[in-house]
Amino acid sequence: MEFLLNFVERTGAKAVGWWGATFGVLAFLAEVLSTLARPATWNRATLDTIVKQIYFTAVQILHVYLIYVLAISWVIITITLSTARNVGLFDAAAEMIIRVLLLELLPFLTALLIALRSGSAINTEVALMKVNNELDALSHCKVEPMQFEFLPRIAGGVVSVIGLTVLGSVLTLLLAYLAIYGLSATGLSAFSTTISSVFSLPVLFGLAVKCIFFGLAVTTLPMAAGLETPKKLFMVPVSVLRGMMRVFLALVLIEVLSLALKYI
Amino acid sequence: MFKNLHLKVGLFVIAVLALALAFLVYVLHARGFFEQRLHLQLAAASAEGISPGMPLTFSGMPIGQVTSVNLNEAGGIVIKAEVSKSGARWLRTDSSFNLDKPLVGGAKIKISSPDLSSPQLPDNSTVLLLVSDPTQEIPLLIERVKNILANVEHITRQDGELNGTLANAKTITARMSGKYGVLEGVLGSEENARPVVNSLKNLEGLTAKLNEVSAKVDAMLAKTDRWLFAADGVSEQSKQALVQVRAMLADAQGSLKRVDELLKNAVAISADVKDGTQDLAKLRTDIDDSVRKANDLLNDINRMWPFGGDADMKLP
Repeated sequence: MEFLLNFVERTGAKAVGWWGATFGVLAFLAEVLSTLARPATWNRATLDTIVKQIYFTAVQILHVYLIYVLAISWVIITITLSTARNVGLFDAAAEMIIRVLLLELLPFLTALLIALRSGSAINTEVALMKVNNELDALSHCKVEPMQFEFLPRIAGGVVSVIGLTVLGSVLTLLLAYLAIYGLSATGLSAFSTTISSVFSLPVLFGLAVKCIFFGLAVTTLPMAAGLETPKKLFMVPVSVLRGMMRVFLALVLIEVLSLALKYI
Repeated sequence: MFKNLHLKVGLFVIAVLALALAFLVYVLHARGFFEQRLHLQLAAASAEGISPGMPLTFSGMPIGQVTSVNLNEAGGIVIKAEVSKSGARWLRTDSSFNLDKPLVGGAKIKISSPDLSSPQLPDNSTVLLLVSDPTQEIPLLIERVKNILANVEHITRQDGELNGTLANAKTITARMSGKYGVLEGVLGSEENARPVVNSLKNLEGLTAKLNEVSAKVDAMLAKTDRWLFAADGVSEQSKQALVQVRAMLADAQGSLKRVDELLKNAVAISADVKDGTQDLAKLRTDIDDSVRKANDLLNDINRMWPFGGDADMKLP
């Protein structure tokens, strides 16, 4: 009886904790959106910071990202084509490649890359700022952390996920065309038909929305986790761990939801 | 460290925007957004296996797709399809629409236009969709194969017709290997075959005699042939005589012509008598010659032609 009671109690505590965290994240997101909507936010200083964030998040890793996309796309395209040829479904190979790589895999992998590289950095930075009372100091000096620290990072993250996904997708499309038809323009109309049959307008819209959510997840969640950090230095790694775990869960959730909406 | 930061970010953002926009325009173009489309209604008994987005192909090239499949008020099937304007020029009033459901791979509607000189299919027209589904034919096929297998089994059973036939064939081939070979096999036994073989032997003697007779007839014919058509035979001689006759007649004609000319000369010119007498002398010799030749000819003819009663040739 005692054990059962304990179990229920622990479950309750966990649920409350989860709810608190979710609420914290949602409240933070609401604050971000309200800051976005405020005209005063959009001044030269904010824009400059956003540009810097885009540079750090996307442009700095562009060549690494493109090589990484090239490798993974080439491997998956080759495997798909040879398998399709073996089972006599070569006609469906192009569609399969586009659906798997462009619609699902590339946005997900891009978001993961940015979460690993920038998300973790953001989480640590915010947690350290919190522990060192820097955020309070900034507020005290009339430098709104939300406007000059958080919002530019979020905007940079969203733009980076979308931008890198677009560039990677174009590269993958080129690679797929070359793998299927080689260096000739003969397959252009058939390839266009396949692309057009996959990318209906709702699908394109869904893809854009998914990328935006990915971008929000990889920046907002680490930030919220950082802000939650108790003012003790040894809690910083715990905060990063929690933040990255949440990012991963959120990415999977967004992916699963988007798939469910599309195919169910 | 962050040299040209703004330039790099600007390039990145512009590249992404340009590519995204270009891709959007490309997809819209590929989906025929900027192109007029031909609308079709397909009439079918059942919508089984037909779904929106299913491609319409002409000669294997996709030119359109099914846009919606619905039931109408009367419970009938309404299948709507769109074809791009560039693809619509292959659609004719006598084009046939076939639902092709392969065992493996996606179903599609195949369009074939047997006569490209027929009038074009107008917009919003209704066409019949023919359904050929190999999977539905499989049970029928299996039923027929089963029947065939049952028949084969019946024929090849232990006491069946096939076994009987094979036994008979064995007996016949055994007889064929006997003294009189195939004949014995056909006639049943050695006794039956013997008279046939004997009569065949008689026939042999008969043909030998016939051979002799025909040899004699042959010799006779050869002799006749030689007399009639040999190099110095009757036929050859008369041919030569005729040639000579023709030559002589030509000579005679020439001489008479000259006589004619001379007479004219004699009448017209009396002055040169010396010449005239010389000519006359020549003419006389000519005529003499001609008459002699004619005489020779007649002699020749008389000798060669077997008109005379004293022919010295006898039939063999």
